[in-house]
Amino acid sequence: MAARIAAEWFSICGGCEVTILDIGEPLIDVLKQVEIVHMPVLMDHKLFGQTGENAEMDIPPADVGLISGGIRSEEHKQLAQEMRKKCKVLISLGSCACFGGIPALNNLYTTDEILHKVYRDSVSTEANGIPNEQIPPLTDRVYALHEVVKVDAYLPGCPTTPEMVAGALLALLAGKPLPTLPSKSVCDECPTKREKKSVSTLKRRFEDPEFTPGAPLTEMRCLMEQGYLCLGPATRAGCGGSDGNPRCIRAYMPCEGCFGPLSEKANPMVDMMGALSSIGLDPKQIPDRAATFNRFAGAGRLRPMPRR
Amino acid sequence: MEDTFQPVIIALCCNWCSYAGADLAGVSRIQYPPSIRMVRVMCSGMVHPNLVIEALTKGADGVLMCGCHHGDCHYQEGNLKAEQRAEAIRLMLADFGVEEERFRLEWVSAAEGPRFAQVVQGFTEQVQKLGPSPYKQ
Repeated sequence: MAARIAAEWFSICGGCEVTILDIGEPLIDVLKQVEIVHMPVLMDHKLFGQTGENAEMDIPPADVGLISGGIRSEEHKQLAQEMRKKCKVLISLGSCACFGGIPALNNLYTTDEILHKVYRDSVSTEANGIPNEQIPPLTDRVYALHEVVKVDAYLPGCPTTPEMVAGALLALLAGKPLPTLPSKSVCDECPTKREKKSVSTLKRRFEDPEFTPGAPLTEMRCLMEQGYLCLGPATRAGCGGSDGNPRCIRAYMPCEGCFGPLSEKANPMVDMMGALSSIGLDPKQIPDRAATFNRFAGAGRLRPMPRR
Repeated sequence: MEDTFQPVIIALCCNWCSYAGADLAGVSRIQYPPSIRMVRVMCSGMVHPNLVIEALTKGADGVLMCGCHHGDCHYQEGNLKAEQRAEAIRLMLADFGVEEERFRLEWVSAAEGPRFAQVVQGFTEQVQKLGPSPYKQ
């Protein structure tokens, strides 16, 4: 019998859904064995019946639930709880579901501040009332999925990697245990050459790092040592897939930290500020440290700046 | 006297200078406020910002970090590292909503018992003025 898959998306761009398509050939194997019963991005399945006639939310029971996106509104919260009830295994798909992702940068501001900025204060906006009818209220901050319901597996990444999605689905279909995340950091898997730990001035990420095009990565000097802010030391490894080389490094770009912090309790900002300041970088040089180092991990880590 | 606020201050003292300095203050019977809870570390340079931030966000009212004077570090340049990190710590305290004055870095040598007492006295008064930590439950 085909495994039933239900999917939902919350506060997200849709890139992780594209990743599912991106699986490539293994997708044929996966699709033969699954039946998608609920997936707003793909199919027309309304939550309250086709004409909205039902009073109860109707998500069909499923073996696997894929949820992408962080939780930003009461509707998301209800849907997440409903999905948890209906799915045997629930998977956080992508960094937004795992740690809040980019939308969780919202957590640097209060919900009121954001609503005012968007609907009233921004210079290009005609000041109007803040909409409040017929829409679900926003939650007080962006939550990661596991802060609201129990999650069985995490597939982080912005977007997550096709290898990981295929790996997790195929493992589930074969009745094998779900893959777990590595506990190493991106630096542990990074092939670049490390010479001497020191950074004195920061370069902007769009300046050209030094490397020989076509030469193997092992001949490129560590981007951090070249002066680029790389989040490798405070980011979980695993984005490289079968190749093993971290994805951004492979493209000669510094790591942005999309695989999230090394552990649930880790605070990447403190880790990175400690590491950078002790190798000689003036910490004041780092622009917008809270958001830079928690770019993908804002749920539970970012909070509005205290007012003085 | 009893209702004055008694802060809890975590003092991270390096093994070679400041801890010995504190020892000297003790054996010389110099009086200083009982506000500090001392943690001996091998070098002020090993104090990761995580330790300081965690102490302050879990209810400590202040953190005092003590190391050797410049040029006296047992590990040559551990205290220089500590100094650089202290700057990062001060910056980050604002992000966590903790007053910068709750953290202090001081150099105390093994011979400076009276100075250690003075530092603790001064810092305790400073923290007392700020009142309990915003993170105190």
